[in-house]
Amino acid sequence: MTVAPVAPHDKAPAVYARARNSGMRWGTLFHRDESLGYILLAPGFIVLALLMAYPFVYAVFLSFTSKRIGGPATFVGLENYTKLASTDLFWKTIWNSIYYTLVALVFKFVGGLGVAVMLNRPFVGQRLAKALLLLPWIIPTVFSTLIWWWLFDPAFSVINEVLVVKWKLLSKPIPFLTDGKTAMSSLIMVNVWRGVPFFGISFLAAMQAVPDELLEAARVDGATPWRTFWSITFPLIVPVVGVVALISTIGTLGDFDLPFLLTRGGPNDATTMFAVTAYTLSLSSGLIGLGAAVSMTMFPLLAILVVVSLLQVRQRQGVS
Amino acid sequence: MAESTAIQLKRRRGLVAVALRRLRGDVPFYLLLLSVSFLLLFPFYWGFITSLKFEKEIFDFTGNLLWVKNPSLANYQTLFKTPRFFIWLRNTMLVSTVTTVLSVVVSIMAGYSIARLKFRGVTAASVIVFVTYLAPKGLLFVPLAQILNDWDLLGGLPALMITYPTFLIPFCTWLLSGYFSNVPVEPEECAMIDGASRIGAIIRVTLPMAWPGILTAAIFSFTLSWNELLYSLAFVRGEENRLLTNGVMSAFARSDIYFWGPLMAASTLASVPVALLYFLFMDRFVGGITAGATKG
Repeated sequence: MTVAPVAPHDKAPAVYARARNSGMRWGTLFHRDESLGYILLAPGFIVLALLMAYPFVYAVFLSFTSKRIGGPATFVGLENYTKLASTDLFWKTIWNSIYYTLVALVFKFVGGLGVAVMLNRPFVGQRLAKALLLLPWIIPTVFSTLIWWWLFDPAFSVINEVLVVKWKLLSKPIPFLTDGKTAMSSLIMVNVWRGVPFFGISFLAAMQAVPDELLEAARVDGATPWRTFWSITFPLIVPVVGVVALISTIGTLGDFDLPFLLTRGGPNDATTMFAVTAYTLSLSSGLIGLGAAVSMTMFPLLAILVVVSLLQVRQRQGVS
Repeated sequence: MAESTAIQLKRRRGLVAVALRRLRGDVPFYLLLLSVSFLLLFPFYWGFITSLKFEKEIFDFTGNLLWVKNPSLANYQTLFKTPRFFIWLRNTMLVSTVTTVLSVVVSIMAGYSIARLKFRGVTAASVIVFVTYLAPKGLLFVPLAQILNDWDLLGGLPALMITYPTFLIPFCTWLLSGYFSNVPVEPEECAMIDGASRIGAIIRVTLPMAWPGILTAAIFSFTLSWNELLYSLAFVRGEENRLLTNGVMSAFARSDIYFWGPLMAASTLASVPVALLYFLFMDRFVGGITAGATKG
């Protein structure tokens, strides 16, 4: 995190002294770091307190109640959690979320590294290539997912048309979203398609920050490009790679848009994940307490990931 | 004279040969680049050409798949003639603009404070911003719906205007605090020595220097609002209050009948402004993301 490198008043005491002498109380309040800091933080932090901290506490509370839409919130202790633990839906939700996140992460990581290595050389049209390749990540998810929905159409998928009819590589069409196993793979594919550009461009930026002298020295010493990459470039970009991977993992774990739009968690709950299950239980079926409990089971996992990211970011900055 | 032209010619031929040889060495690279680009961009192209096809041609896979036989704008017309299309567009613009302005202003203040001021708790504040930035929307929408209901805000557009900042403020604050810590302090101090108040110096001196960062934050906020799905599904009721995203889906993806033509036209239309904005400001954009992702 960013911490002010030098406090302005250490540098220019005269300015502050003059302001203090200028009399007006308000002036001082808006002048001194100790007061101005809190004043400037206040609006944002009030929003965060009211709409993030309070909902979080409220969610913990709701998860211990039998609250339904329009009904009272009666305290039921751990009943929601024990009820959830006895359902297939719950275990499927956890397993699906973790599977989706991990498999997609591996592909995004490898793909992103590949794209970065590919673009990390001067060539005609590099700027254009970078801009175009980032498009899947830039275009609003809802709309790009709509296109994938059409590409995955059970009867008129152009992918199946090419693979089965034109190239005759497959004997029968792939049931992209209608079969449990393939549906999960299809979701992962779209997530990877969206994520690879982001990973690639972030990795590329990190690679371009690697000092040329180091690479030159390795070349002079006769290291192969492969060796140079793994012994010099990769270790140097690990901090960026790590943060990008962690942020992406957290986002994927809580993903709602993709699974909701493409499969609504189906077929037969094969692709349901934390956010989708919480949505169906609480808003479609009206079981607010149960839905809140589903969201809360995601929390420990998230908390671990957030703490790791925090340590990673702070270590990188050398801020104690 | 004749001799020198011959030498020149020879040299030129040599240069051309070198350029050709180098290009030939690059062929595998460009082939790879092309295939990767194809994989990543084909969906957009397919969506775009589908939007130009008549219903009949959409389901007709004979002939060249990568071309449109009878291009027409009929799907775009259908889209514009949808009752309430322009209401949804207006809602989306309204919500995106309000939340962007609100979040960016609040984040400039918070970001400046975290980056430039020394006070007790500044480190804790920056940690809180980072943690809230990471919190996925899926975690809090259930209690948020309940809270909005308690406050009598559930159902209308204000529900979105006050909840979108929950994911925009942490992001923008994080991005902007990274930006502010790289803007030099001296000009602001000079302005104060010249008699400006501190707030005046910040507004007139520091903010103009930070405008690329502010612009990035604004573009990002606008795109994220434009892109939002979960909250707009969960917190808003009624046809009149829909946004483009769920409005278009409800109109053209009813139960089992999907009108791919208008759906693809909508996807194309919604993507173009975002893509344009991004192309115009790409360098800042990429710089902003990575600064956000790495410098914090």
